[in-house]
Amino acid sequence: MSRDRFGWALVALLGALGLGMVGTGVTVLSSNPPRPSGAGTPGPARPGPAVPPLPRADPVAVSIPAIGVDAPLVAVGVDDRGTLEVPPVDKPTVAGWYRHGASPGETGNAVLVGHVDSAAGPAVFFDLGRLRPGDTVRVSRVDGRVASFVVESVASYPKDRFPTDEVYGPSTSAGLRVITCGGRFDRSSGNYVDNVVVFATRIP
Amino acid sequence: MKAQRVLVSAAVGVGLGTLLLPGAALADTTVSPASTPVGGTVVLTATTCNPKSGDALFRVTGPDRDQNVRSTTAAAGGGLSAELFTAGFTLGTYTVAATCGDGSAAGSATFAVTPIGGAPAGAGGGTGGGGSVAAGAALLGSAAGGALILARRRRHAVVAATA
Repeated sequence: MSRDRFGWALVALLGALGLGMVGTGVTVLSSNPPRPSGAGTPGPARPGPAVPPLPRADPVAVSIPAIGVDAPLVAVGVDDRGTLEVPPVDKPTVAGWYRHGASPGETGNAVLVGHVDSAAGPAVFFDLGRLRPGDTVRVSRVDGRVASFVVESVASYPKDRFPTDEVYGPSTSAGLRVITCGGRFDRSSGNYVDNVVVFATRIP
Repeated sequence: MKAQRVLVSAAVGVGLGTLLLPGAALADTTVSPASTPVGGTVVLTATTCNPKSGDALFRVTGPDRDQNVRSTTAAAGGGLSAELFTAGFTLGTYTVAATCGDGSAAGSATFAVTPIGGAPAGAGGGTGGGGSVAAGAALLGSAAGGALILARRRRHAVVAATA
């Protein structure tokens, strides 16, 4: 009889553990980064309203009200392999500005990058794929000015087909590109397979 | 009448000027592609330079760089071209200004030397629920199996006791 009692206790324990793991897994699965809807047409910036370009100045913070982002910015370059640097993974709420490109508001495409998640969970640009054309992005600069941009499109690209020209290429107007990871997480490489890119143009 | 004659003369003058100075009127320089990951090659073309006038000279200026590149081939679509290898280039935007062999300016263009590929901007902390769900389901299955076995054993014991 005591063996049966032990058996039932074991069954109860296994059941509770199983339920807990399933619950946790379902919660995590439902919090995967949102995928872009594909709205808008990625590509070269369309001519927006005529806004005089700003002089070069380092950006210090980015705000994206539609997804609740309000983050400090640090300057980033490239790593030893020539790949775009990202802010330290232990600072998942910080975003980066690609310092070899234009500064936000200056003529050319300014590039911001931030983590979609860290080992601990969602990071600064987790909801970037949720943005839609018409949403706004505001970048505060060290000179006290704020450069505002309107989202034209949001798209996802496999990392081996990254749209280098559209992101970093020369432009005659002030644009903004915001990058994070997306798609499936490849555990063997420890990386997401896609990049999510937001294309935005400057507005007054 | 006199004003009309002046206008016609002016128009003829502009037309002749355009014909005689095509380089000045249609000056153009292109860089293809407009951006390249560092270490890539871009093709500089001065589309209006006449190869018979001598080599074109491309002046490449940008972050930490000011170098001249001489054209090496006649471009398929007209003009003169040179290849530029960007290994060792600092990342950033560069301007290319071309001068034809006859000394005429042939316009300018820009290109960007960029990082390689996309950005590694995630650690997978927002994913991975699949493994947890599978393990949890396995545990639930084990619990159900165990419960079934225990229930059968109890039923057998009751039957044996009443027999």
